[in-house]
Amino acid sequence: MKRVGLLAVALLSLGLLAGCGSTSKVGDGDQAGADAAGRDGKGIGRMGGSSANLNDPSRGGAGAGGYRFDVNVEPEHRIFFEYNSALVNDRAAQVLAHNAGWILAHGPKGVITVEGHCDERGTREFNLALGQQRADAVVRFLVSQGLPANRLKAVSYGKEKPLVPSHDESSWSKNRRAELVLR
Amino acid sequence: MFFIRCVQAVDRRLLSLLWLGLFLFLSAGSSSALAGGLRIDITKGGLTPLPIAIPSFVNLAGGGQASAGGTMGSQVADVVTADLERSGLFRPISKSAFLQMPDHLLKNGPQFRDWRVIGAEALVSGAVRQEGDQIIVDFFLYDVYQGNLIGKGKRFSAVARNWRHVAHRVADEIYTRLTGETGYFTSRISFVSHKGNLKQISIMDQDGANRSDLTQGKDLVLTPRFSPDGDSLFYITYENGAPRIARLNLLGGGSNILSDYPGLNSAPSWSPDGRRMAFTLSMDGNPEIYVRDLNGSHPTRLTDNPAIDTSPSWSPDGQKIVFNSDRAGTPQLYVMNAGGGEARRITFEGNYNAAPSWSPRGDLIAFVHGGGGRFRIAVINPDGKNMRVLTDSWMDESPTWSPNGRVILFSRHNGSRSQLYSIDLTGYNERLVPVGGDSEGSDPSWSPLIR
Repeated sequence: MKRVGLLAVALLSLGLLAGCGSTSKVGDGDQAGADAAGRDGKGIGRMGGSSANLNDPSRGGAGAGGYRFDVNVEPEHRIFFEYNSALVNDRAAQVLAHNAGWILAHGPKGVITVEGHCDERGTREFNLALGQQRADAVVRFLVSQGLPANRLKAVSYGKEKPLVPSHDESSWSKNRRAELVLR
Repeated sequence: MFFIRCVQAVDRRLLSLLWLGLFLFLSAGSSSALAGGLRIDITKGGLTPLPIAIPSFVNLAGGGQASAGGTMGSQVADVVTADLERSGLFRPISKSAFLQMPDHLLKNGPQFRDWRVIGAEALVSGAVRQEGDQIIVDFFLYDVYQGNLIGKGKRFSAVARNWRHVAHRVADEIYTRLTGETGYFTSRISFVSHKGNLKQISIMDQDGANRSDLTQGKDLVLTPRFSPDGDSLFYITYENGAPRIARLNLLGGGSNILSDYPGLNSAPSWSPDGRRMAFTLSMDGNPEIYVRDLNGSHPTRLTDNPAIDTSPSWSPDGQKIVFNSDRAGTPQLYVMNAGGGEARRITFEGNYNAAPSWSPRGDLIAFVHGGGGRFRIAVINPDGKNMRVLTDSWMDESPTWSPNGRVILFSRHNGSRSQLYSIDLTGYNERLVPVGGDSEGSDPSWSPLIR
């Protein structure tokens, strides 16, 4: 499944909708969204300057190789984890940094919910805890990027809401994730 | 390998026992209720269920005469028969084989020869009558080979609409008289029923009858847990947009949120006295186990390390808590005092041991054992000895014990559906437990005895 999710347009449109009390996923952008995000140089540029913060994330995160910002990476609202792990890996750190930068730059108001999800293997309760660890790790990372903690909320769904319903590693790897949702 | 003791066992039975590699259990009737001599030794694994004859109960009119018509008598017998059969310890004989008619049996007592020739070793005789809105059930249990009563005749009564409950009482009584252990048929199961994306907290009798759905289905709900008195449930609800612990009063008091801390509120577990709850919170930065009084006190933290700690389950004496932690790198089971402190790891085999459930007898802990890409139900002694894997499927979870600590109920996901199953603690007698309609079922919790 192609990871869509172009935070820029989605957040802008959600910002407009927020007054109506609606709740939607950040992202789920269409092609027009992709174009808009691609032109969004400001947020990208600003985040490039903050890479130094990434060398000391609270739990995992950028490795010894350090974080290198890639201007070609699209903003996404999902990041992915290894099995039974809540470690924010390099790729996820890039995505999150990108998101944090964009949010700071464009300033949509409202609480950002970080949903932690797991693949279906293992027990319901352990996965609820693991999903919480994943969401908390993302929240800590976003705070390290300058987002105020009081705008972030970590919610675990354990293995209750898989992105892909099949039962193989390819699906599981997409289900072990965190998602950013603007409420 | 369980079997029967018969003081004057005939050669045929003795030979068949030896042939099966079994042994006679020769202690004299250790309980007055067992003075008749027939007894199933259920401490051994299950191979040969006891043949039992359960004729229709006779429908009596007000004056005690057998009444023509009426189906209650046969319905009661059917419920008793189904209970005993499902336990795996009994083999009910087909009614079509019976030689003595129920009316005659009730009036004149058993013609034991008629029951011996069809292979029955135990025989039930009973009657049903209705007085006002009450149903009254009398029954007698016989040892066919000895030709005498096992225990005394017994009478149960209840409001007529609860006739199934009365039938389960009879089944409990038969089970107890023939095994020496408390029955478990007068009990209920709470679970999560799913239909499409709709998930509800549901409840039903242990045999799948009388199901009712207790939540509306608009919010995600998980893991109902019966209170020790059977009157309420803990469960997880996302009605506030995050996992919160709620308590639902089954006697009509509605539902309210019990635990509403930031982050995770999950894995509620009743203390055996029903006064406290052990549960998981992440408010201090990491999933840890806490305990609190249900009268509203603040949570006390029991665990403290950077790993996941969750899924607490109390020992029946309330002194210990078994729980799940990945502090050693993989999810494993640990036992600590109910007040917290040092935890002792009890599982070492396999890279995923989780969801512990301490048996109400105290002798075993059931849990989910993962390995080789499969998750199966296993049991282990609380000291970490004698791990035994009971099931073999792809994704079995949520083990919960029958009130007598004999049977484990769990949920199984086969890749397309989630359903409830039960299995004897010996690993025999795995059964699908129907939840009604085309619903799926998961997250079972077995109630205490409902009397």
